[in-house]
Amino acid sequence: MASTALRPALRQALAASTLSRTFTTAALPAFRSQSLLARQSPLALQRAAFQTSSKRAILPPLPQVMEGTVNDAARVPDPEPSHGSYHWTMERMVGLSLVPLTIAPFAAGSLNPVLDGAFISLLIIHSYVGFQSCITDYFPKWRVPRWRKFFDWANFVMVGIVGWGWYEFETNDVGLTEGIRRVWKAGSKVDVTA
Amino acid sequence: MALRLATRRLALAQQAPKVFRRGMATPTASDTLAHTKGEPLSTISEATSASRAPIPPSKTTTIKEPETDPQAKIKTFHIYRWNPDEPTSKPKMQSYTLDLNKTGPMMLDALIRIKNEVDPTLTFRRSCREGICGSCAMNIDGVNTLACLCRIPTETAKESRIYPLPHTYVVKDLVPDLTQFYKQYKSIKPYLQRDTPPPDGRENRQSKADRRKLDGLYECILCACCSTSCPSYWWNSEEYLGPAVLLQSYRWIADSRDEKTAARKDALNNSMSLYRCHTILNCSRTCPKGLNPALAIAEIKKSMAFSS
Repeated sequence: MASTALRPALRQALAASTLSRTFTTAALPAFRSQSLLARQSPLALQRAAFQTSSKRAILPPLPQVMEGTVNDAARVPDPEPSHGSYHWTMERMVGLSLVPLTIAPFAAGSLNPVLDGAFISLLIIHSYVGFQSCITDYFPKWRVPRWRKFFDWANFVMVGIVGWGWYEFETNDVGLTEGIRRVWKAGSKVDVTA
Repeated sequence: MALRLATRRLALAQQAPKVFRRGMATPTASDTLAHTKGEPLSTISEATSASRAPIPPSKTTTIKEPETDPQAKIKTFHIYRWNPDEPTSKPKMQSYTLDLNKTGPMMLDALIRIKNEVDPTLTFRRSCREGICGSCAMNIDGVNTLACLCRIPTETAKESRIYPLPHTYVVKDLVPDLTQFYKQYKSIKPYLQRDTPPPDGRENRQSKADRRKLDGLYECILCACCSTSCPSYWWNSEEYLGPAVLLQSYRWIADSRDEKTAARKDALNNSMSLYRCHTILNCSRTCPKGLNPALAIAEIKKSMAFSS
């Protein structure tokens, strides 16, 4: 009984072994010759290693580490509403208020500098929060604390630089709405031909 | 040796007198040939001698090689294999072929058949085989699902690929390590927390409307299909709780009998535990029980936005 039960397994194993043998001997002569070459000269092997691009994972998974025993609950962080619920609510408010601010200049056609300024500052906050979210996702504090700090500060510095740039554009140039109006050519072209 | 014995027995059965058919070692003197009277053993050896010409093949039946069924629906399964006993060997994809006519309709049937009949070393978890226990969660053809609830696609041209749940530490073959998942589940305190006893001293009752709020939450079997399908959980499983555990958290936040709702929300009120959810919705898409963890997470976010 035991032998009959084992027989399919045996058959499969035998089939697999013969298959792999034919595969390596008949179908891959190139590989064989290459290994022969490698045996003859280590230089060829080095060249091959140089030519094949290696996989470089950013933050590859670490070996499994368990905090405490299997029966301990995972650590619960302290409540921080400014990074939690308040942050989330602020993020959504900014996102929501951007919708009418984007549409308003089209509908009204006005070039109110206050409206323009509000639009730009909210846009900057919106992108700042978006980048911050990416940094939080991909640079965990427990794993790369320095890089995390660096990117968080870089993000913050970029807000200042971009804000200054927009300030210059608004005060010394035409401003965002007018700038887009000048770039936006598709509609007027159709009007000219028609 | 075995062959010779068999031919002898055949010769005996066809040519020797009937009595011999009882067995090889029971000769009877009266039935033997005249000139060999008193020499039973030599008679037998003559009657069953291998030196006699064998019966020609035209007079015997033919035992053929087991025929392959022309109706057979042979499907190929590629299954992820890794053995912790051989730590130096890399994980590999092992291919198996099964006749779908002899296999049950579900992927778990195929796996069990492979384990029983082809390769007993294949390792996977299974228990209830009907989608209640959540043991057989795995990645089948690119979708996290329960093997017992996943039908084998009947077109045999397409090959099926079975992996363990993605981004989990693998114990062996298709068995993932869910330690972190269970530790996180424990951290949300998945049990009723009350300080005040019920007014009549009997049960903690709730209205039908309150009970209805738990529908779509209590059915979760914690198979971890949704959590391991979430990219956010892939990157941050150390701190982000993941859809399954958040759904369970909401199951207790939404429970009218629970009195620690504020504490439960506080435990989620940080940048990592809850707010790493970016509404990717892989969880709702993959849930083999048809639940909606993303909706539960959205409900938590909403309740926290307006209350705390």
